[in-house]
Formats: sequence, C-alpha cells, structure tokens
Amino acid sequence: MEIKKMAMAGTLESSDIQIMLSAGTNGYEFELESDVAKQFGDQIKATITSVLQAYAIDNAKISVVDKGALDLVIKARAVTAVQRALEIVDTPNWEVL
Amino acid sequence: MFTKGQAVSLTDILTNKEVRSFRQAQLQAQYPDKIICAVKLNIPGEIKTNTAIKNVFVDGWNNILQTLDALDYHIEQVAQYLALPTGPEGFIVVDGQLAAVKKVMITLETTLPLGRIFDIDVMTQVNTTQLSRQALGLPPRQCLVCNQDAKICAKAQTHSYQEVLAAIDRLYQAHFKAPRWNQVNAVNFAQKGLLYEVSLNPKPGLVDPASTGAHQDMDVFTFIDSTLALQTYFNEAYIAGFNFVGDDLTALFNQLRQSGIKAEHAMFAATKGVNTHKGAIFSLGILLGATGYCYQHNLTTFAHLQATIKLMLVTLLATDFEDLATKQTLTAGEQQFLKYQVTGIRGEAATGYPTIFALALPKLRATTGTLTQRLLDTLMYIAGHTRDSNLIKRAGDINILAEMQTWSEQYFALGGSKADAGISFLHHLDTEFKQRNLSLGGSADLLILTIYTGLLEATI
Repeated sequence: MEIKKMAMAGTLESSDIQIMLSAGTNGYEFELESDVAKQFGDQIKATITSVLQAYAIDNAKISVVDKGALDLVIKARAVTAVQRALEIVDTPNWEVL
Repeated sequence: MFTKGQAVSLTDILTNKEVRSFRQAQLQAQYPDKIICAVKLNIPGEIKTNTAIKNVFVDGWNNILQTLDALDYHIEQVAQYLALPTGPEGFIVVDGQLAAVKKVMITLETTLPLGRIFDIDVMTQVNTTQLSRQALGLPPRQCLVCNQDAKICAKAQTHSYQEVLAAIDRLYQAHFKAPRWNQVNAVNFAQKGLLYEVSLNPKPGLVDPASTGAHQDMDVFTFIDSTLALQTYFNEAYIAGFNFVGDDLTALFNQLRQSGIKAEHAMFAATKGVNTHKGAIFSLGILLGATGYCYQHNLTTFAHLQATIKLMLVTLLATDFEDLATKQTLTAGEQQFLKYQVTGIRGEAATGYPTIFALALPKLRATTGTLTQRLLDTLMYIAGHTRDSNLIKRAGDINILAEMQTWSEQYFALGGSKADAGISFLHHLDTEFKQRNLSLGGSADLLILTIYTGLLEATI
C-alpha cells in the first residue's frame, strides 16, 4: 500500500513523539531526532517499522521527533499517523472538539 | 492520592496532548511576540485527576503567578482547564524573554513543594520547539525516585509504577498534610517542650537555669542530659503510631508502654538515677504515638488527636488501678489514687487530656508578650487550676491544692509575668517552696505537653 498524503500525529511535549509520514520510493527512510537516540533509537525505529508493515506499507519517508515516549505511545502515534496518511480516518479538526 | 478518580485511556491522553498542542498554536498565533507557558502535571498511571491532584495544581499555579508577578513580568492572559479528565492544565501568556522565562519555570519546577511533578513547557511563535534545559546548559530533570536523568528512567521504565506513585505521595504528604505534624517536627516539638520548660524562670520550686528549686539531686544540666537521652524514644513513639495497623488502639498503647520502660532506663542512665521526666515520658509518648497515627490517617486536628488518645487508653484506669491493694511498691500516683481517689495523670490521659486542650492551651493562646512571659502565665494558670499530684505528694496533704489556687490568683492579681510585682511574687514563692520542700512537677509536665500542642498548632 502507498501513502496517499502527508500526515502527522503526536506533539513535541515530553513523553510524546511526533511522527510525520510522507510518500517514499525507497523502502523506509527514517529521520530520527531524540534525546535518547543513542540508547533507544533502534528500538523506536523498530516499533514504527512494525506498524508500517502491519498496514502493508512498502515505501515511506518517516520523520520522527521523539521526546522520550514509551513504546505504547510510539505505537499509538504511528497507528494514527498511518491511518491519517491512508485516509482511513479523517484528520481531526480540533477547532470543533 | 491516586486511588480515587476516573481512569482515562491512552487514547484519551494522546488526544488531549494533540488538543493542547493545537491550543498552544492558537495562542502563539494570537500573541506572536509573547511567551507561552503550558503548565501541567506529570501523574503516572491511568487516574489523572481528583480533588488532591487539583489541589496540587491550583497550589502550584498560584505560586507560578505570584512568582511571575514578584519578578515584574506582565501576564497577558491565563487559561486554566481544571476539570479535564486527563488532568488539570493551563496556559500563561507572559511578556518577556524566552530564556529568562524558561529559567524562572525551571527554578519553579525545582523549588515548588511539588514542583517535581509539574511540567512547564515554554515557547514562542518564532521558536515553536520548546526551549530545553540542555539548550540552556542546565542539567536534565531528575527522576522522582532515584535522582538520575528522568528521561532515561522513564524510557527504560526503571522503576515500578508503585515506586513512582509512592515517591509522589511522599512529596504530597510532606506539603499538604499539616507539615507540623510530621515526624521530624513532632519529635522536635517534644524536645522543645522539655527544654523550654526547664529554661523557664523564675518557677516556684522547679529546676531552672538560675535555681534548682526544691530539688537537691538535679540541676538544669540533668534535664538537658535527660532530654537528649529521650530522642530515640520520641522517634519510636511517633513511628509506632504512624505504622500502627489494626482497630484496637489499646495495642498501640501497650507497644508505647514497652518503649516507655526502655526510655525510663535511658533517662536514669543519663541522669545517674534521677527522675527528671518520668511523667513526660508517659504523656509525650502517648501524644507522639497519637500524632503519628493521626498524621498517617490524615486526621490532623486536635479533636482527632484527643479521640485517638481516648481509644488508646480506654482500658488504662481499669488495668492500672485494679490490683493496687495487693501491689508491693506504689508510685505517687497510685498511692494518691488509694488515698484520695485522685486519678492523676492517668485519668487526665484517659480522658484525652482535657486540662491541656480545654484549659492550658486556650490560656497559652490568650497570653501575650515574650515567650517567657507567656509560658510563666500559662504555668501559673495550670498550677492554680489542676490537682498537681507532685505537689500533693510533697505536701503530704491534699489541702495544698487550695493554697496553690490562692497563690495563682494572687499572682494574676499582681499583674502576672508582665508586672515586676508578679515576678517578685514568683521569687517569693520559689523561696517558700524551697523552705517547705514543695514543687510543681505535675504542672510542669502539663506545661511541657501544652508547649508541644502549642507548637503543633503554631500558637508559639
């Protein structure tokens, strides 16, 4: 499956992660920024990769700013980003919430 | 602090973060040249709000606003969201320099009583990524449990959820649960009670730094030695109450009595066999145990303290006085019970120390002047209104009480501690007490307990 549009999920708050997905042509191309990249960079990428694979996405550019998110948060944000990118869900309009 | 409340899901929390981020962006657009501070709490677990948590937030929020005001920052706008299921939060829009405001907030995160669970993000329109501690050359936030880099501990989940909650709960209790009732303060107040009492002068018949009164075997140093020897016991007594589990509080008293016996040995060892504080050991042990118990159960009022003491001592009079007729050696209190049916300090304790809470402490609150003046008036008031078993014992005659009452009235008629005549009268009484070998040991004990309770409620 291919990414239809650029999509984002998450915030830049501590304990959160912001994941931006856009169309790619060359497998998964990661760009990762994290205070704990040294210790947990590979683990963060692996978690996001498993979500992309679950949605059968073959190519994507993934830009990640991690603020120390836990694994379950990374997973949830990745799922939301994918669903928004694939237009499975509408990007929420916070103005009306 | 965290057991009551509505649980929220991860989705709720993550959605809330995105909503907050959106509100932030709106404020940034509205105030492009101002600083936006996003204030929220880091509460682990699925319960993010309840009354206690809101109290913590409002307390810190008010502190932040006061601090900004004191530093002459102009506050453009505030927006508080106190009732969110995901926890209280709010925004403060400030006119100032980004780095300077961030430093103020970092200081608050470090110095507020519960600052360590506050998370204050600081940002501007031009600098949408929040300024980090590292960017300012400051150390990262410390973990609540182990003081290492908090991000590493959080990410690696080094500590169990229970450990983190317990750490926050300790901070909460230290700040919000009547801090004067905590162990360090309560033990300190007990020792102050003993030291203030012995330092007070002139006292009729009692030991003070200027006179040994009607006592030949002790002086002020004996009392200092004794006070220091009792520190371990005071801590034990407080902890016994704090850690007590069960419904039968008489078990707590029995535990205190065992500690009390050891404390008497420690006292006699320190004073080379002189009884300085036997009465105080009994009563301060009870009060400290009850204070620890009440603090632990968040019942930090005198009504609860008295009720706890009564429950601890519900069987005291029956058990202590039942076998007196056949007992070999009797204490002064026991002898007087047989002779005059005066229940003494036991009766006083078993009824929750009404002499302190209904008589002496109200008197202390009403006194004015220097601490010496206030405590002298309180002592003379106690002596004139109670049955001092030490005085009865030394006089060998219960009619001494009527005489003591007259002396007390005379003292206050002369103007009490603030009048030269009142102080002269105390010196005169001291001489008379020495001649007749009288003392006011019971009243002195009650003064010690009154000082303790007065310190607990910050009357002195």
